[in-house]
Amino acid sequence: MSNRMDTIWSQLDRKSTAIAEFTLRQYRTRISTWVVMVASVVALLLILLFYIEAMNTEIEAIDNDGDSFDTDGDGYPNGQEKLLGTNPDSPEDFPVGVEPDPPEKWINEDDIDWDSLEEGTNYVGVDDDGDCWEYYDTSSQRDTNDNGIECDIIVNVDSLNSTVSVISDSGVDEDPDEDKYGKEAGHRAFILGIGKFGIVYLLGIFLPLFLATGLIREEMSEGTIHYMLAKPITRGEVLLYRMLGYIGITWPFILAVCLGLCLITGFTGPNDSLFRWQDVTVWMSIAWAAMLVSLVYGTIFCGFGIIWKNGVILAIIFAAWELGMAFVTILTGGDSSIRYMSVIGWGMIIVDAGAAVGWPDNWQLIEIGLWGGGHGEENWLGEVAFIPLPGAEPLSVFSGSPNLGVSNWLAFVISTIVLIFQGIMAWFIGQTIFKGKEVN
Amino acid sequence: MMPDMTQHGKAEIEQWTSEQNVPVIMFDRVSKTYGRINALNSVSLGISGGVTGILGMNGAGKSTLFKLMMGKVKPSSGAIRLFGIDPWKNPAPYSRVGFVPEHEKMYDWMTAFDFIVTFSRLHGLTRKDAEKEATRVLTFVSLADVMHKRIGQFSKGMRQRVKIAHALVNDPELIILDEPLQGCDPLARTTIMNVIKELGAMGRTVLVSSHILNEIERITEQIVILHQGRVLALGNSHAIREMLDQHPHKISLECDDPRELAKSVIKINEVTGMSFADEGRLLIETNHLGEVHKQLPKTIIESGRKVTSIDNPNDDLQSILMYLTGGST
Repeated sequence: MSNRMDTIWSQLDRKSTAIAEFTLRQYRTRISTWVVMVASVVALLLILLFYIEAMNTEIEAIDNDGDSFDTDGDGYPNGQEKLLGTNPDSPEDFPVGVEPDPPEKWINEDDIDWDSLEEGTNYVGVDDDGDCWEYYDTSSQRDTNDNGIECDIIVNVDSLNSTVSVISDSGVDEDPDEDKYGKEAGHRAFILGIGKFGIVYLLGIFLPLFLATGLIREEMSEGTIHYMLAKPITRGEVLLYRMLGYIGITWPFILAVCLGLCLITGFTGPNDSLFRWQDVTVWMSIAWAAMLVSLVYGTIFCGFGIIWKNGVILAIIFAAWELGMAFVTILTGGDSSIRYMSVIGWGMIIVDAGAAVGWPDNWQLIEIGLWGGGHGEENWLGEVAFIPLPGAEPLSVFSGSPNLGVSNWLAFVISTIVLIFQGIMAWFIGQTIFKGKEVN
Repeated sequence: MMPDMTQHGKAEIEQWTSEQNVPVIMFDRVSKTYGRINALNSVSLGISGGVTGILGMNGAGKSTLFKLMMGKVKPSSGAIRLFGIDPWKNPAPYSRVGFVPEHEKMYDWMTAFDFIVTFSRLHGLTRKDAEKEATRVLTFVSLADVMHKRIGQFSKGMRQRVKIAHALVNDPELIILDEPLQGCDPLARTTIMNVIKELGAMGRTVLVSSHILNEIERITEQIVILHQGRVLALGNSHAIREMLDQHPHKISLECDDPRELAKSVIKINEVTGMSFADEGRLLIETNHLGEVHKQLPKTIIESGRKVTSIDNPNDDLQSILMYLTGGST
C-alpha cells in the first residue's frame, strides 16, 4: 500500500509541485516577502494594543433609571425608598430605622435578563432590585404592558426582519450594566472590525499586491521566464502552479495571524470561562474569507502583471474599487446588492455567516444595546430617542447579515463557491492573455 | 575549478533517428515585425541534424529566429514547425528541445543542482529521476564538483555551462544555444565549444548563434548568415570562404624586416599590392586569398626572414557581409 501511495505521489509530484516549490523558495529569498509580513503583523499588533487597553478599562457605569439619586434630599437614594415603600419625592417620608444605602448600590442594579429568546413573543425579565414589586401597589400598576404577568418584559423576536420589539412593565430591567455590555459588544465589534476590514480587506489586498503582481511579470522583465517557458508545459499551467506557490506562503500566514489574534482576544476578552470558545467559529470564517479573497485578488493581480509591466497600477485601481465595495458592504450591513459585483462583498458574507453561527445572539445583543441606555430627552417634535449602551453602535456597524435569503451555512457555502468561481475565471482570463503574450 | 580541455561527455551516445519524415525545424516564409521594424523578412529554412551556426551582427534577427522557434513570439506571417508542430500553439515539442537563452540573469540563490532538478521536473520527471539527470548533465559539462554551490558564486563561463547543462536534461534531440560563448574567457570558450561539438557528434541537431565567424568555424562548417532579417548565405563555411577568396583581401605580416620580406613576397603572382603600415608590419593585397596563403609559408622560409604573426585583418563577419551585400552595410 505504501508503495502504491509512493507511486501516486511521485506521479503528482512533478510539474505542479516543482513550480510551486520553486515559487515558495523564491519568495523566501526575497526581502519584500518578509517586509510585507512583518509590517502586517506590526500593524495588527498596534491595533491589538488599543483593544487590550479597552478591555482593561472599566466602562463608567451610568444610572439609567436615576435610582441612585436622592430627589427629596432626605439622605436615602430613590431606589432604596422605592424598595422600602416610602415616597422618593417627599423629604418627610423616609424609611425609619434603616441606614441609608450608598448611592453606588443603586447603579446597574437591574440588568437585562433575556437569554435564550425564541422566535415570536417571549415573556422574560426579572425585577432584580424589587422596585417594581415593592413600589407599585396594584396589580395593574405592576403590569403596564398588560400581558397578565406582573413585572416582566414582552420581547417580540422577528428574526426574518432581524428586529426585536420590547414592551416592559415599569421598573423592570431598567438599569443595565454598562461595563458588562460594553465589553462584550466592544469585543465582538473589534473582532468583526479587524476581521472584515483589517484581515479580509487589507491583508487580503496587500499580500497579493506585493506578492502576486510580480509573480509572472518579474520573471518576464528579468528574462528568467525563458527557463520555464522552454519546457513542455503550457503557460496556463505555469500561471496555475505559480499561484499554488503563492497560496503556499499566503495561506499559512493568514492562518497564523488569525490563530494568534484568536488566542490573544480569546484569553483577554470578556469571558465566563477561561477561553472564549464561541469566537473560534468567527475567527475561522475570517481566516477562510481572507484566504479565498487573497487567492482571487492574487490571480487578478498576477494577470494585471502579465497584461502590463506597470500592472501594479491596475491593481491599485482595482483595490480602490474594492475599498469602496468594502465600505458599502460594511455600512449597509448586507442590505446592498451592489456588493455582489465585488470580491470583498462575498468575503464579508462568509464572515457574517460565521458570526451568525458563532454568536447566534449577536443581533439581539445589538438590539438590546441600541435602546438599553434608556430614554433620552425629548426633541422639539416631542419624540423620545433611545440612548444606546456603550459598544452597541460599533457592533451594529461592523455586524451584518449574510442576507442571501438562505441559512447561514448555505450562505457560507454559496459565497465560498462564488469566490472560487471568481478565482477560476481570473485564472482563465489570465492564462488566455498570457498565451497570447509575446515574451521578449 | 579547471574545465576539462579534452572534454568527453559521459552521456549515453545514442544515434538519433528521425521517426517521421519531418525536418526538426522548418521555417516557411516567416516574417516578424515589431511595429515598423522588420526583425525577420520572409525566412525559409529547414534544419535537421548536425551543428548549424547562425551568424549575424547584432540586430540581424538571430534572437528573433530563436524566439519564434521557442514559441516566445508569434510570427507576423509564414509558418514555423518544430518536429511538425506549431510551437506558438503547442508546447509539446519542447520535451525534445533544450534551449539556452541569451539572458544572463539566472536564479542566483539556487545551487546549480537545485536549478537543474527543478527545471527537469517540468519535463515530467520524478524528483528522483530529475536528480539523476541533473548529476549526469552537470558531469557532462564538468561542473560535478561544484554542483552544490550557489549559481551566484559562479563565474560567467560556469554559469553558461549550467545553462547548457539545464538544456541537456531529458536528452533533447534539438539543442538551441543563443550566444553561448558571449563574455566567456578563452578557457570556458574551448570547453563550451567541445561540449557543442560533442553534442553534434552524438547526432543531435544543434543550433548555435554568434556574431563572430571565427568562433562558429571552430565548431561547425554548416552556417546560416543572417543579415537585416534575411538569410544572406546558407551552407558550408568552406564554400562561403571560396566566394570570399575572389574578393580583395588583406594579409598582415609582422616580421623583423618588412622591406626584405616584401622583395620575396612580390614574386607570388596573386599578390596585387603591398604597403608598409607601422613599424615591422607588411600589408599584402590579393584577390585570391587561398592561393596566397598556400604559397606564403614557402616564400617566407625562402626569404629567411623571421615572421611573428600572420593575420587577416578584415576576414571577419563585417567584411564578409560587406562583400555579400555589395558594400551596403
